[in-house]
Amino acid sequence: MTEEITMKKIDTFAEHGDDGATNETHIEAKDFSLFYGDFEAVRKVSMEIPKQKVTAMIGPSGCGKSTLLRSINRMNDLIPSTSATGEMIFDGHNIYNKNIDVVTLRARVGMVFQKPNVFPKSIFDNVAYGPRLQGTKNKQELSEIVEQSLRNAAIWDEVKDRLTANALGMSGGQQQRLCIARALAIKPEILLMDEPTSALDPKATAKIEDLIGELRNNYTIIIVTHNMQQAARVSDLTAFMYEGVLVEFGKTKQLFTNPDNPQTENYITGRFG
Amino acid sequence: MRLETRKLLDKAFSGLGIIAIGVMAMALLLILTPIVVRGSKAFVFKGTIEFRRMMLEQFDRGDPDKFNQEAASTAAARAPVYLMMEEFEAEMKAMKSSERREYKAAFKEVEKSIETLLGPIPGERKPVLLRQQYGQTRWERTLVKLHEALYSEEWDYSNADAMGLLVEKPRVEQFIGTKLEPMFPYLEEHISDMMLPKTTFYWRFITDKSKDSHIFGGIWPEVLGTLYLTLGAMIFAIPMGVIAAIYLCEYAKEGRVVSFLRICISTLAGVPSIVFGLFGLAFFLNTIHVSNSKSVLAGSLTLSLLILPTIIRSSEEAILAVPRAYKEAALGLGAGRWHTVMSVILPASLPGILTGIVISMGRAAGETAPIIFTAAVSVGAPLKIWETLSQPTPALPWNIYNLCTEHEAVDEIRHVQYGMVFTLVAIVLLLNLFAILMRARISKKLRG
Amino acid sequence: MSAKSNQSLIMSDAASRRHRMATLFGQSILFLITSLSTLTVFFIFYFILKDAIPFFKLEGFKEFFTSARWYPSGSPAEFGALPIFMGTGLVTLGAVVVAVPLGIAASVCLSDLLPFHIRQIVKPIIEILAAIPSVAYGFFALVVFAPMLQNHGGAILSAGTWMILGPIFALLVIVMGDLTIDKLRNKVKNPKLAGAIVFPILGILAFTFIYRLASHLSGVEISSGTNALNVAVILGIMALPTVVSVSEDALQAAGRELREGSYALGATRAETIIKTVIPASISGILAAVILGVMRAIGETMVVWMASGNAARLPDPWYNMLQPVRTLTATIAGDMGEADHVTGSSRFHVLFAMAFCLLAFSFIMNLASELIVKRSRKKLGK
Repeated sequence: MTEEITMKKIDTFAEHGDDGATNETHIEAKDFSLFYGDFEAVRKVSMEIPKQKVTAMIGPSGCGKSTLLRSINRMNDLIPSTSATGEMIFDGHNIYNKNIDVVTLRARVGMVFQKPNVFPKSIFDNVAYGPRLQGTKNKQELSEIVEQSLRNAAIWDEVKDRLTANALGMSGGQQQRLCIARALAIKPEILLMDEPTSALDPKATAKIEDLIGELRNNYTIIIVTHNMQQAARVSDLTAFMYEGVLVEFGKTKQLFTNPDNPQTENYITGRFG
Repeated sequence: MRLETRKLLDKAFSGLGIIAIGVMAMALLLILTPIVVRGSKAFVFKGTIEFRRMMLEQFDRGDPDKFNQEAASTAAARAPVYLMMEEFEAEMKAMKSSERREYKAAFKEVEKSIETLLGPIPGERKPVLLRQQYGQTRWERTLVKLHEALYSEEWDYSNADAMGLLVEKPRVEQFIGTKLEPMFPYLEEHISDMMLPKTTFYWRFITDKSKDSHIFGGIWPEVLGTLYLTLGAMIFAIPMGVIAAIYLCEYAKEGRVVSFLRICISTLAGVPSIVFGLFGLAFFLNTIHVSNSKSVLAGSLTLSLLILPTIIRSSEEAILAVPRAYKEAALGLGAGRWHTVMSVILPASLPGILTGIVISMGRAAGETAPIIFTAAVSVGAPLKIWETLSQPTPALPWNIYNLCTEHEAVDEIRHVQYGMVFTLVAIVLLLNLFAILMRARISKKLRG
Repeated sequence: MSAKSNQSLIMSDAASRRHRMATLFGQSILFLITSLSTLTVFFIFYFILKDAIPFFKLEGFKEFFTSARWYPSGSPAEFGALPIFMGTGLVTLGAVVVAVPLGIAASVCLSDLLPFHIRQIVKPIIEILAAIPSVAYGFFALVVFAPMLQNHGGAILSAGTWMILGPIFALLVIVMGDLTIDKLRNKVKNPKLAGAIVFPILGILAFTFIYRLASHLSGVEISSGTNALNVAVILGIMALPTVVSVSEDALQAAGRELREGSYALGATRAETIIKTVIPASISGILAAVILGVMRAIGETMVVWMASGNAARLPDPWYNMLQPVRTLTATIAGDMGEADHVTGSSRFHVLFAMAFCLLAFSFIMNLASELIVKRSRKKLGK
């Protein structure tokens, strides 16, 4: 059944493919490698991720796609004994430079995780967490930001009557959209999504995908996904990674219909992975 | 082996395990029952007229009119006893001196036991010691003392091989044919008219000061001292322990330093409590002189070291139980490390940390050995809060020890000892119950 | 698009330096507090040792460790601590005998036998046993248990014998009987009949043995209820929670796969536990025993109140019915008198004892850490 939907969608992805958006590069990786101890999880990746497009990263488990994603806001710093070589350029700076302010970086690059990770606080406090960090104290202003973010995440109507309720009481799909709202509330330029629908049922997944479609007009979105149909449905560009190496990176339509690399073809036709 | 035997052995093995659990439950029951049953008698008991007299005179409590009525009726009931004693004395004076000598010592004993039982004989000078100003205040002690008044104890050493045998002889036998003879049956028959036992609910046992080293009154100085010591220990131990846990979990990089610190913590946890006491004496009092004598401050500091490992460990556990996802989410939103800890990790781990804190509070309240040399004295008034910096205090655990080993009237004040043990155990168990309930709530929350 | 986009990623050098300094400063403060609280242990070692050394300087080692004459207030004072070490050892040994078999049986029961909801009831029992203050145990030992022992010593001893030996002998009879029948199987035609003969014979033998032992013990008179036996039993109960909870953790850590592997081969539950689970978690159980020993050896109030505090060698050495004296009780009891004469050997000998306790508990602790660590490595965790 999903196959059918997928095929229809694939036919339509051109609709939002090459429209008039700028082709300005937002993030650029230059020979970027990331090591866990001695293990090279990402190998000399070079890619330019354009502004206000949806870029999907696909590949088999353990291919380094999540690691690459987490390198963009330096979440890998949390794991002991990681090191990076090469450059990851954002806003004209290599974000691995010594005097980079990681806190500002993460405020400008939002992230949504695999499993919805709402804080055990009220819905309002979850969304207001980021703005409060940045010093917004005014209650009025905060409510505006919260409402706007929840609207942007297409969840406002569902939660507007229970903003003070504990966020843990929501369904998984709602929690994930709340996480997106929370990420949007800090007004990031880039939104990183690490398999955002892997823990959700198909209905909730569809909602998130619709949301991504709406968000792509304002944000640069990079999404890691296990699900090739999802990549095909939502993304403008797709990167295929295998064993830490960026095998192929190009327009989604191109990559799914006529891949350059035989490895890519094998993967998307389901011969491995 | 045959299959049936294997199955039988299997059953027997399970049986052994269940027996072990049963023994444990039995032990708990055996230990708690006397403490609870006899401990509650410090609060609820049959009080005599003497108890009410004491309360009225010493604590200014009770209804004087009602008391006077009762006192009049008991005085009327007691009058024949005193009358008979007076008559006997007159009779004795009329005796020949050899005869008189025969009775004198025995009569002296009777007189004394009556005084212990009913209080000072009317018309005589008021004794100085508080405990001699009143008769028996509790009905069960009254009965014991009545028995002592009715029977004299003698040791029979006729059998040289065995230990001396205790023989009880009715005192009345010594006075047959005298005016005192009818007093003994009268005493036995009318004791309850003389004492008017009434069920008394003395909840102020906890908040009353003690009078005449715990012969009368309550245990407030001890309770207050225990509270001071416990809270003092928490003031030092909580910030240190929680901060150490945060550092170990969130900041320290695993390596030699951290594993070294961990070994230190587990060693600290294994140090015998009496050694903490010696250390407190040698360091806090003899080296850095936090106070000139034993003091609540020195005791609290010593206790805080004792509970520190518990607090560090339980806080660490609680912090590690916080899902990684929370931390990632906060960092992903641009929170700094410290802010992540304060805004997300600590709130999420707070119930767990609190559980550990509550349990170690119970531990601090019940520990005796560390405060023997650093804080505890056997007798003292309740302290004002600023006096804790320089003054020692009585405390429940220490005074339980003291009252049941070193007090001059150990048997007379069993009810106070039991009452103290009961209070201490109740405090500790309530704290633990609170912790158990809290933990149950946390695990429920984590499960769904 | 957003106000944030012009917020620079780069911190100025000054800001960066300030930031790094602040971080460093904050972390050092945290580190300082952490080490302060953990390095306390060194303070303790230092200050105990500092006051212990004068004793050894004044009196030497030999008398302290080998003489049985403890007369610290005599003149000349004698500091033979051997009976005190013996007393500590005897009492601890007794506590181990009580706590270890019971504790391990209970932990097996908790981890493998009881269903979840019953476990939820049993666990608080253990927690309460652990929470009761030691002075309350001491009070119980002195005021309730000691008179009981003194007045009904024989009856208690024989009842104890029945309770301990009964189940053990029952198991023995089953095993022995079964082995005998196995041996006889080839020679006897009717194994059922053999069983009917062998089991009663063994049963009667076991019963008579216990009966005679118990009736012998019931004649024993205990002259003082405050003795090593009293303290050992109470200390055993106090050490139980430690033994149970640590060894239960170890048994749980052995994992379900291991158990399933054994069950799948047709083992009964008892066989699974005895032959696979316990061997796999033996190091954790050992650590539990060590921690139990430490709990018993470091306990002060119970031994002080109920051991009788007689500093003489028990005769014979295993006689649990005589009063004994332990290190902790000596420290607690003698400091009151020694305190006034700070500086004398009498004061410092107590620190020497404390140092022995401290060193012992340190070694035991290290041993248990090592055992646990090694077993973790072995399990590959």
